[in-house]
Amino acid sequence: MSINRSELRSKHLPYVLSLVGGLALLEVFARILDKPYFPTASGVFSRLISLFAEGEFRIDLSRSLQNLFLGFLIACISGITIGILCGRYSLIEHVLRPYINTMVTAPSILFVPIYFVVFGVSRWAIVALIVDYAVFFLIISTTTAVRSVDREIVEMSKVFGASERQRMRLILLPSATPLIFAALRIALARAIKGMINGELLIAVVGLGSRSQNFARAFDAEGVFAVASLVVTVALVLGALLSFVDGRVNSWVPDIRRKG
Amino acid sequence: MYIRIENANKSFQKAATRKQPAARVDVLDQINIDIKENEFVTIVGPSGCGKTTLLRAVAGLTGLDSGEIMVAGELVTGPSPDRAMVFQTFALMPWASALRNVAFGLELRGVDKSEREEIARDLIVKVGLKGFENSLPSELSGGMKQRVGLARALAVNPKVLLMDEPFGGLDEQTKRLMQEELLRLWELERKTVVFVTHSLDEAILLADRCVLMSARPGRVSEILDIPFGRPRTRDVERDSTYIDIKQKIWEHLRASQIEEMTLQSEGNVH
Repeated sequence: MSINRSELRSKHLPYVLSLVGGLALLEVFARILDKPYFPTASGVFSRLISLFAEGEFRIDLSRSLQNLFLGFLIACISGITIGILCGRYSLIEHVLRPYINTMVTAPSILFVPIYFVVFGVSRWAIVALIVDYAVFFLIISTTTAVRSVDREIVEMSKVFGASERQRMRLILLPSATPLIFAALRIALARAIKGMINGELLIAVVGLGSRSQNFARAFDAEGVFAVASLVVTVALVLGALLSFVDGRVNSWVPDIRRKG
Repeated sequence: MYIRIENANKSFQKAATRKQPAARVDVLDQINIDIKENEFVTIVGPSGCGKTTLLRAVAGLTGLDSGEIMVAGELVTGPSPDRAMVFQTFALMPWASALRNVAFGLELRGVDKSEREEIARDLIVKVGLKGFENSLPSELSGGMKQRVGLARALAVNPKVLLMDEPFGGLDEQTKRLMQEELLRLWELERKTVVFVTHSLDEAILLADRCVLMSARPGRVSEILDIPFGRPRTRDVERDSTYIDIKQKIWEHLRASQIEEMTLQSEGNVH
């Protein structure tokens, strides 16, 4: 990844300045306010450091991340597969649509008791909730992505004798990839929400339980430390996704450059 | 006959609009055209005369209500590698390089990579795109994109080349250049070509015969012999016969176009 000067100026510099400025503002505001429920940025940061020093906290973090990866992976594989099938075969879409629409609209929290009963107090109840948060959105987005394929290109593939499988692999999939990646980023954010909610509500483990314990103890610094860690995880994973996105979808013309 | 279109009929249901009730539109009405092997035939007519539908029917992309189309002695029932098509909107895969786009038909047939890329490289040189093998379609101009489209069609070595207003989306200079390129390529490798256009000059310059169609219902009104020899250059445009033919086609087109406008304005009264 090469960073050129103009990109540094137009993209990365404002990003960093905004972040630093926001933190500085929070710090100043918190110091003026001087209330325990509104911690300073520096306080949160040092708290995070000391939390990391605890072995148990690192275990909590890794547990949470494992759940996240598992849930997100399951959501990706099943969501994209079902989405492609729905996009390609309208019968499948018509059959599944009422359920998908229901599930994407209903608050996932509603289903927590069911996961609790089915999976018990285990990792899998949380993983199920993470999948629930991410998968239906992914199905809908992937369906739209597959639908938006250029008709002429499909027609061209027919003229040149593409089989059903070839059309899927060589036309529909690559054409849908950019939109699928855009959906993956949002799905990732949703999966993270699912992870935290799952830990708060289902099993009392991981970062969610940490955060809950801090909240019970009115430890605002602790709550914010966990929250900022979650945000950092989200940002890092998001950056990873957009890096892959840039590699895979480098053919998508950058309209900003031309505009 | 190499391509035989016999009593081809097709109509479709036109949905009702605010101004017009739903109606059946005869897109193709008793079309009969015979095309010889290695003949270059252009089809010209007003918009809505069904010329593109006819071409799609020959490609096997759309069925007929009645009648039949035979190509090289075989009834057309669907697309076949013997019939390649060049599209007005190019229909290139934006994620694939020029080389991969050209080789696409061969990739579908399972020709292995080195072999199909060798064929594609050859054709890229032939259509004048040497050096652009690895460019993406978004990096190519309209004329260059259609060169890729043409090379892709030639790569599968088809018996019949179907061209659907291939230069319709290009600017005038590029269009003229591409017409000359096509003449040159056709001399190198004579194929049976069915070429749909609404450009009068294109219809005459390229063709051995020119089919005139009229709209609603889509019918063949006349088939003109274009008497200029091969290899042909743009010089024929100064020939008095050329001017006569152009005049004739224009009179026909103008008549159908005016008729079409009258029909539409009548439709608006309802």
